[in-house]
Amino acid sequence: MEVVVWAGWLGGIAIGFFVILHFWLMGKPAGCSTGYGNVCGLICKKMQYYQQGEYSNLNNTKLWFLIGIPLGGLLSALGAPGEWHMSFDMGMYEAILPQSDAAKALWLTFGGMLLGFGARLAGACTTGHALVGGAMMNPPSLLAGAVFFISAMVTTQLLFNF
Amino acid sequence: MYKFPIFKSIKLFLISFSFVYRANFLALLMGVLFGFLMSHAGATTYDYHAKMFLLIDMQLMEVIGSAVVVAMLGVWLLKKFHVRAVTTGEEVDFVKKPYQKGLIAGALLFGIGWAMTASCPGTVPAMIGEGKMGALFVLAGLLLGTMAYGVLQTFVSNNGRLRDTLKDGCD
Repeated sequence: MEVVVWAGWLGGIAIGFFVILHFWLMGKPAGCSTGYGNVCGLICKKMQYYQQGEYSNLNNTKLWFLIGIPLGGLLSALGAPGEWHMSFDMGMYEAILPQSDAAKALWLTFGGMLLGFGARLAGACTTGHALVGGAMMNPPSLLAGAVFFISAMVTTQLLFNF
Repeated sequence: MYKFPIFKSIKLFLISFSFVYRANFLALLMGVLFGFLMSHAGATTYDYHAKMFLLIDMQLMEVIGSAVVVAMLGVWLLKKFHVRAVTTGEEVDFVKKPYQKGLIAGALLFGIGWAMTASCPGTVPAMIGEGKMGALFVLAGLLLGTMAYGVLQTFVSNNGRLRDTLKDGCD
């Protein structure tokens, strides 16, 4: 099963309209990674950091936004030719990832930890900094977006070529 | 106690319910749309990430480039006409993420994670919806990493007293 991928410019324009629609409906910038803080706050009731400030009300729009995303992925996969099924194939990454399943799982978990910790330390993820921050021409976001890209590019080059 | 007729009370219940949960419901719909678009843009397909960073196929660069241009025009229009947001009834708040300590270090770590998993916090849930099972491990890692940041911040705000952090931390 392969999801149907639109032409780059078409997908980009659609996502651009999504950002505008989100501003108009919700009245604030779209963001993904903050929602994970809500989940952490719900799991750990005693963790102070995810119970105060912007996390004082955990059942908020950020959380529901995050809950909606898998449904969107599911819809897209259901619209693709062929039946929905679980897949374990990672395409080009199969060649560079560790070969055993356990090592692969550890690799992905560790990468996810870097994503989660890095996103909080930087204040937002690709959506919040590169996409929405870029649209607002916010200098710290542009800096963060540039560092995201450079760091990921250097790491990918190292993984595939060395 | 005075009671409204049944139909009127149902109607009032529905109205108050929709006012209380309207924002969360709209956010859910926006999440569905976001996941759908991310998937169709190719951001949930592993190979596009590798191809972009190896400069073979610029699909995702094209996506984010055109998205930022369109969104920039939209933001400009929304600002110009002082458009009011649907859920809050107030002017759209273009709150900008401030520069914070550790932004560059965090961005570097994030980039390494991006290259290792070929996904970012926004695409991971969409990948799970598509049935890409590797994303479940990335999700676990994401939650652990976010949790670690919370523990660190709680530790710092307790003036580095380990005992208090653990006492008030996760149980």
